Amino acid sequence: MITFIVRRLLLMLPTLVGISFLIFMLIALSPGGIGAGVSAAGAGGATGAAQQQAYAEERYGLDDPVLVQYFRWLHRVSPIKFGARDQLSPGGELIRLPREVRPAALLDWDAGEWRKARDSRSDVELLALARAQAQAATAEPPEAYRRAARAYAEGRVRQIDSGVEFRSALERYVGAVGVRGAFDSRNQPREAIFTALTPERSRPEWTAVEKAGRAMVEAYNGARERRAALVVAIEARPFPQVGVPIVPGVLSVAAPDLGTSFSKNRSVADLILTALPVTMLINLLAFPLIYAVAIPGGMLAASRRGTWIDSLLGALAVGLWSIPTVWAGVLAIGFLARPSGGLGAFPVAGLHDNAAAYFAFLPNVSSSGAFERGWLLDLLWHIALPVACLVYGGFAVLSKQTRAAMLENFSADYVRTAKAKGVPRRDVVLRHVFRNSLLPLITMFVSIFPAMLAGSVIVEQIFSVPGMGSLMIESINVRDREVILANTLMIAIVNLLALLGADLLYALADPRVSYGSER
Amino acid sequence: MQNRFTLKDFVFLVLLLGVGLSVWLSMVQSDRLWKRLQAIEGGVVEVERHLSRLEASLESRMMSQGAPSSDSGSREGSDPDAAPSWARPGVPVAWQKPWTYATDPRTVDGYRSGGEFVEAFESQFKTVVPYLFKDVYGRRVGNLVVEPLATFDPKTLEIRGVLADAWQIDPEWKWIRVHINPRARFSDGQPVTAEDVRWTFQEFILNPAIEAARTRSTLEQVSDVVIVDPRTVEFVFRDAIFTNLEYTLAQAVLPSHFYSRFEPNQINGSTGMLMGSGPFKMESLEPEQEWKPGSDLVLVRNEQHWGTARPPVDRIRFKVVNNDLSRLTAFEAGEADMILPTAFQFRDRQQRPEWKQKARMLEWFNIRSGWTFITWQCGLRNEKLTPFHDRRVRVAMTMLLDREAMIRDVWGGVGSVPTGPSLSVSPMRNPKITAWPYDLDAARKLLTEAGWVDRDGSGTRTNEKGEPFVFELMRPSGSEVGDRVAAYLKDQCAKVGIRCEPRTLDWSVFLEDLKRRNFDAAMSAWSPNSPESDPRQVYHSAAMAQGGDNSAQWSHPEADRLIDAGRHELDPTRRYAIWHQLEALLHEEQPQTMLREQPWLRFVQPRVGNVHMYRTGAEPWEFFVGSGASGASVLP
Repeated sequence: MITFIVRRLLLMLPTLVGISFLIFMLIALSPGGIGAGVSAAGAGGATGAAQQQAYAEERYGLDDPVLVQYFRWLHRVSPIKFGARDQLSPGGELIRLPREVRPAALLDWDAGEWRKARDSRSDVELLALARAQAQAATAEPPEAYRRAARAYAEGRVRQIDSGVEFRSALERYVGAVGVRGAFDSRNQPREAIFTALTPERSRPEWTAVEKAGRAMVEAYNGARERRAALVVAIEARPFPQVGVPIVPGVLSVAAPDLGTSFSKNRSVADLILTALPVTMLINLLAFPLIYAVAIPGGMLAASRRGTWIDSLLGALAVGLWSIPTVWAGVLAIGFLARPSGGLGAFPVAGLHDNAAAYFAFLPNVSSSGAFERGWLLDLLWHIALPVACLVYGGFAVLSKQTRAAMLENFSADYVRTAKAKGVPRRDVVLRHVFRNSLLPLITMFVSIFPAMLAGSVIVEQIFSVPGMGSLMIESINVRDREVILANTLMIAIVNLLALLGADLLYALADPRVSYGSER
Repeated sequence: MQNRFTLKDFVFLVLLLGVGLSVWLSMVQSDRLWKRLQAIEGGVVEVERHLSRLEASLESRMMSQGAPSSDSGSREGSDPDAAPSWARPGVPVAWQKPWTYATDPRTVDGYRSGGEFVEAFESQFKTVVPYLFKDVYGRRVGNLVVEPLATFDPKTLEIRGVLADAWQIDPEWKWIRVHINPRARFSDGQPVTAEDVRWTFQEFILNPAIEAARTRSTLEQVSDVVIVDPRTVEFVFRDAIFTNLEYTLAQAVLPSHFYSRFEPNQINGSTGMLMGSGPFKMESLEPEQEWKPGSDLVLVRNEQHWGTARPPVDRIRFKVVNNDLSRLTAFEAGEADMILPTAFQFRDRQQRPEWKQKARMLEWFNIRSGWTFITWQCGLRNEKLTPFHDRRVRVAMTMLLDREAMIRDVWGGVGSVPTGPSLSVSPMRNPKITAWPYDLDAARKLLTEAGWVDRDGSGTRTNEKGEPFVFELMRPSGSEVGDRVAAYLKDQCAKVGIRCEPRTLDWSVFLEDLKRRNFDAAMSAWSPNSPESDPRQVYHSAAMAQGGDNSAQWSHPEADRLIDAGRHELDPTRRYAIWHQLEALLHEEQPQTMLREQPWLRFVQPRVGNVHMYRTGAEPWEFFVGSGASGASVLP
């Protein structure tokens, strides 16, 4: 049995990698990219948009090839980490080495005079220089890091702005000279066309290009120098490192980092931890209710097969199942919640009363003599409608399944024997037939878990419940990759664990099933 | 084998009952503590109120006895004609009236102090940290807690000082020197100083690590922020543009002593760290109790507010109810005091007589209303010309839409046809322009003139090269209203021999295509935030470069000239005249067809008083929650 469990757990890993790879590729290859979550139309015009784009690329590595991005994400999420350990700043940010400074397009264009101003020192030389400068400085490592980080951020901004200026200058020149197709669909200059051009140096537009080119090269040099200073500042270990080293500098174990949401700027773990309890509350109330109603219903229908009770229960269950959730929600609001025209008996907005934060737990009578519902009762009252909308559709499948399994067992030999022996009918049904019908029910129990975690988007939208469903839908709409991946990973893990649990439950419920080593 | 109730079962049952009992007892005890806590809290609030009353009476007594005030630069107690010490000589000082109620709630029938006002928003807002919020809700919440140096007067739309009690403007608009009211204090009692202003601009907004990119881009013209003395700050500009005043004075001033404790990534990730000098404050600023999206946001009255006008309500609560029907039901049930209904809900309820008792139904245009429009691609789309490069075709498209009928049918009659890309309450609107009429024959004539004729009797017009007049209308998905507008447009186009193919796109893909100018016609909406906006962003040829907002790729040398002249014209009357000329040009050229200007719609509970429809929107801090309050009014 133990080997079975271990084998199953190990098999989970490739499955998870496969699932995350598939989802990652789907998101990466979908049109729109990171989308509305990152880009925002503002008064900034071209430089504002470019800065935001560059900020996103910096932070999330969006301009690397997709596979590189995937493996970087996998590395972050796995507990086993390679390379130097990250450092944790007091503000909770994980400090990693900054990316390479990439030269903008056409920085090395032969035709441009600005090329000569490019700093030809290699990265290694710049690092050595920065180290020497750091030796001479007197600031404490955390302060030195902050200054270096700020300087690097400013250097990057200058590089981006100068890049945008240079591109505009090129556009104006190209427009004046009359070359078509010089820029591709992403507004990047096509190097092939430009390298084939001989520039007309007498034109004023070309002088502007030269000037912008020089500014761009200076910004590029500056960014490289500042990056080297930042690398040196990080190497000085200003903050404690996270995790436990196994092979220092090469292998370590650290907590998985689920990342930061693009659109909400909060850590994904935080988002999920806020939304999950709400969804779980509603589902943990809904599913026992479904079971409590559907299974006895199915048993009743099975034992009274053929009578009007059987047909009525069946029709009722399927009828309820056919009502779409959206309509059910609207009906519930219209008939149960609305004060005019309806009963006005249930609330509609959110999970708590406006004054719930000032309620005591249990119902009581306040000092002015008014009856106060109490926090618990208030929560149950608010949750009644969302739970009702989740519950009504679940009866059909479960009761039908129970009825079918029990009918199958009713005609079995051992039941005939038990009846002949004189066992009371109640015991026959409950102790013998029902226990043997459990296997299909366990299978269905497993499929509940992903539904629990995914939440029900429609119910959450209608009743303004801030749960996992809204979180997922919002993230999908803005292509918030981090949240989608983290959610999918979580659902996949729970799903696989639930399957394993179901297999173990089979072994528990049915002595004939065993996973031990077969001889 | 029978099931017997054994000793084991009995022990188990007793243990279970014991656990249940102890849970129940702990809840009872926690309730008892809770009641005492509430009593203590109430006592503390009373003490705070007493304190602020004492302070106020002490100050007024000191002033009436003529004691010299601590700050020699302030107006009271000194010779009003002499130039104050902080001012530059030779330039007049504009003293500002103290910021107070637009309408004093105490003069309204039914006035009552105290209570809670609840507003229900339509979608979840993610953060209320100033400069980081990306939607209107964050701004509405923020406006109650942080204050700018100056803002637009709700009735006259002029810029009036809030934190600033005086300023000097360079006749050439190269600098503005602002003096902060010496009484100004943040909600924790610390005074508002020039260092806070400088810190807000240079260490917060201009810090590239903080995600305030949108505001950062408006500060292009600010070259420096200089501290003259502890209460005086000077902004220095690169170029004299008319937006200099608004972009600097209308920014909220943040307390540097509070926000500098956080690192940039903490600020970026924070949702509820909002602190300022305004009439309200967040309920708690403790990091563990920080507000997070998913729960209601509660603001409590700032008892230490430095201003003379005290808000009547104790608390303001913001809820989120996404679904339109739920929101209306929540309003009916009394769970929300103010909601935004859909246009159809509004019109429908207006016609029901029993609703006049249930709600005050408000509809008005203000500087935050927006407009819907269709942008025509006047330039190249993927290196090919679209039919809309010709001005006559664009005017024809405008004339084949019966916009009045559209407003009636699609938007329930709510809204009006704008004559140009400006607000009806704004001085930018040219009153002399009348909208193009609905005239199918005139449209047909213009199309024929432009060379689009039905040459082969197929019903579709073609140009000389034989290309049929077919275009794609792009719009973002998720809008029922958009579907109906697109269907209407398609029908009308068919009547004049044009084939329109509506295409719905995901929002992010729509934005991407707009950015890349990959469209023939695009439907979108815009809402400004101030009476006057800079047309350079959308109509100047410099904004045609990709990344700029001139997605129509429309350029006109006269428009460029007018925009450049207008931006540098500092006298408002002359500037508005220039904008009127620009609007007339845009009317002739129609790079966009304006469909509708949407007013603000609100349902308000009758018990909420002093609700007025100002030109800046609504001022929730003036509301009171009483019973039998008087009606609302529209102010000119």
